[in-house]
Amino acid sequence: MFGQGLIKGLQITWGRLLDKKHTVKYPYEKIEMFPRFHGRFELDVEKCIACGLCANACPNKVIEMEKEKVDKKQFLTKYVMRIEYCLFCGLCVESCNKDALKFTNVLDMNQYRRSWVRLSLVDRPAPEAAEEAPKEETPAKTVKVEAAAGQAPVKEG
Amino acid sequence: MKTQTYSLNLGPQHPSTHGVFRIILELDGETVVKATPVPGYLHRGIEKLAEARTYTQVIPYTDRMDYLAGMLMNWGYVQAVEKLMGIEVPERAEYIRVIVGELSRIASHMIATGAYGGDIGALTAFTYTFRDREYCIDLLEMVSGSRMTFSYFRVGGVADDLPGEFYPAARKFLADLPGMCDEYDGLITGNEIFQARTKHVGVITPEMGINYSLSGPTLRGSGVNYDLRKVRPYSVYDRLNFEVPLGKNGDCFDRFRIRIEEMRQCGKIIQQALDQIPEGSIQAKVPKVIKPPVGDAYAEVESSKGVYGCYLVSDGSPKPYRVHFRRPSFINLGYLAKLCEGWKIADVIAILGSIDIVLGEVDC
Repeated sequence: MFGQGLIKGLQITWGRLLDKKHTVKYPYEKIEMFPRFHGRFELDVEKCIACGLCANACPNKVIEMEKEKVDKKQFLTKYVMRIEYCLFCGLCVESCNKDALKFTNVLDMNQYRRSWVRLSLVDRPAPEAAEEAPKEETPAKTVKVEAAAGQAPVKEG
Repeated sequence: MKTQTYSLNLGPQHPSTHGVFRIILELDGETVVKATPVPGYLHRGIEKLAEARTYTQVIPYTDRMDYLAGMLMNWGYVQAVEKLMGIEVPERAEYIRVIVGELSRIASHMIATGAYGGDIGALTAFTYTFRDREYCIDLLEMVSGSRMTFSYFRVGGVADDLPGEFYPAARKFLADLPGMCDEYDGLITGNEIFQARTKHVGVITPEMGINYSLSGPTLRGSGVNYDLRKVRPYSVYDRLNFEVPLGKNGDCFDRFRIRIEEMRQCGKIIQQALDQIPEGSIQAKVPKVIKPPVGDAYAEVESSKGVYGCYLVSDGSPKPYRVHFRRPSFINLGYLAKLCEGWKIADVIAILGSIDIVLGEVDC
């Protein structure tokens, strides 16, 4: 009989009328991302030895880093990711031997301006010399603050 | 009365062209006299970009060809590199590849099914397939961390092992899959209006399909039994038991229908792969800097759109000398101009949708 298929189709849609919701009201409600989710990057400066493997692994030259030699050790002074070119492929995170570079599950990285998109994970001066400063202590603290400032997005809707 | 033909520009900005694709139609009233496809609006030069990147760094770019089935695009490329270097992939990695590849195929076919319903005018179908696709993509996100451009494959294996929570979630999805397919069949396939619009429209004869080098569901809709997974089994497909759905008439309806059938078969394949998956390594021993010997290699896989191949030429350096991708969407599109002739303008949309192109792949 002609029309049987139409009726069957309507039955399906009507059957779904009182179905459970499959969506969430996004900005107000958020679902938890999976542990492996490729979200915003996070750099543990304590672990980072500024080897530059991540910058080399990147297919798009997203990572810009600057380092200085302090006490025969490489000291990371700047670590900026040009997120606007990032493919979120994870090759940089995979290449990190020290587990310093990681993905977080933060997904809202949208900004109002293109220049705000750039992710500055480290921006700090190198410590003067070894004789003063009881090593690491002070720079590490400033780094935390700076890094936090770099990570937090400008408040947006 | 003397009439004359006129030309109409369909696309590039038109939802039913599935992206940025343009067809210049020469019409006599509503009947197509001549159709000239104009691809190229999404060309990014991936093949050229690959020449400036190392072998591993090319992987994220392959994702961006057929972005609806990114895993399968990865697969073809890494298989070519492995062939060039003679790498033996561990068994577990092969099974993982089959699982994620088939999940990707399901996701891609769900889009094809829903979008085709939308093309014909049954937009409800679109919402149903997209709802289910999200659950499929959830599984892939669990594994790879991304929802569309996965970059999950590596030369010699895969990036990471399957997480523990994947197995129950995958089994639940597979249990739901036949029900989902039944729903699409009830909603779209059985719909008389849909059938009237698609049956006996845009018929591809088996001979023409072979002559134009079509592949995938577009060719199998004409009844030609050609599926790489069966014809030349790669990976572990020879150990998995599944059927290749075939069409009879080679019309739009058959091409559409066998995609839903293929989804059911994909479910079967994943089920078997999950049962058979052995323990072990997921990554073969591959040098840190991938430097294949001088030479070339061609490898192909059955992607959701057809036979996807990758041709690699190595000059012994860490970067490929030349990469070429055989993109099934592009080659399937070659027959479009001939196929549209003589049909009404509304049928052009039905025909184009039934080929299931992805512009990222067509233009590459």
